[in-house]
Amino acid sequence: MESQAPRVTVEGFDGPLDLLLELVEEKKLDILMVRLGDLADAYLARVRAMAALPADEVSAFLALASRLVLLKARSLLPSLEPLPDEEGESEEELRLRLLEYAIVRERAGQLGARLRAGERAFHREGGTIELPPKGGEVDALASAWSRVLALASRQREEDIVAPGERYSVEQRTIEIEALVVAHERVTFATLLAEAPTIGFAVVTFIALLDLYRRAVIDLVQDELFADIVITRREPTSAPN
Amino acid sequence: MTSGELGRIAGGTPRAVETALAELAVAYEGTGLRLQRSGDEWQIVTAPQHAPQVAAYLGADRLRLSAASLETLSVVAYRQPVTRAEVEAIRGVNCDQTFYTLVSRRLIEERGRKEAPGRPILYGTTWEFLECFGLQSLDELPRALSPEGALVLEGSRGSGP
Repeated sequence: MESQAPRVTVEGFDGPLDLLLELVEEKKLDILMVRLGDLADAYLARVRAMAALPADEVSAFLALASRLVLLKARSLLPSLEPLPDEEGESEEELRLRLLEYAIVRERAGQLGARLRAGERAFHREGGTIELPPKGGEVDALASAWSRVLALASRQREEDIVAPGERYSVEQRTIEIEALVVAHERVTFATLLAEAPTIGFAVVTFIALLDLYRRAVIDLVQDELFADIVITRREPTSAPN
Repeated sequence: MTSGELGRIAGGTPRAVETALAELAVAYEGTGLRLQRSGDEWQIVTAPQHAPQVAAYLGADRLRLSAASLETLSVVAYRQPVTRAEVEAIRGVNCDQTFYTLVSRRLIEERGRKEAPGRPILYGTTWEFLECFGLQSLDELPRALSPEGALVLEGSRGSGP
């Protein structure tokens, strides 16, 4: 069996039609000519030989068996009149069904051969390509890279052999406040000076946040990752 | 992509689009690509003769189907759109399991409902079906039967109702 999927098979036959067709082929009979009733005995022998089957499978096999037996009885007793309300298909109807099934089996075989040949196609996976937004992204990317390089070239704190400076937020706050009063407009980059250590940068930033919280300064940043401009907030109500 | 969409984007009449697609299909001959068509939908796919290499690149497993699944699939392919009951009548067996297998492997799909008592679901083959069998369209389904098969078909036509 090729498939790993669990499937109920009946002694290798995919149902009663498959079994009947198998008998026709085994005996090298012509589907068009064979008297199907003649196959009743062989069919019954095969069904009898089958192991226990699920009930719904058995009923399908038995329905065809009874049909075949009836056809056989007809051929033995040609005078047998059909019952007025006899259900089921005639020999020709059954033959047509068998023919149709034979074609299906052949086509299935052809499809199976195609599958085994493995000559299949593949499509491209994935949805619509997302285009980047229009604009000078290349320039932005280049300047971002140069900033990364500048950062990377800075002396790192752990490289400093001497005991590191101690920064205090309070001290830094006072310094910045004095700077803002003196210059009116200071940028974050100037506050950090040439080569800040990480500790110095963090303390400076916290001091800025504290000044902003106390409404001493205003902070403006024109765009993402741009330098932060610090201005002194004009005292509104408080007396100068 | 449908030819309607192509026409809208390229600004051409449906007729012009069809012509262009036909030219494209010819241009792809002998290359690693080809056009696949399902109804009004078009897609560029890899050429089946390169399947081993593409499958190796993608790490794709070869599709395997049982004889029963193949039978059900062939009835759906050649008779679509078709209901499960119609397939079962032809095969003479219950097809629950094989329908489940084929739908879950995306080889067949629902195609609306039949205007008949109970409005049963109609099934047809999918894109993936064409792809898995290396068919450019349903027109490429093998029609020729073996001599015995052809005889059978003749017979069923001759003595058909």
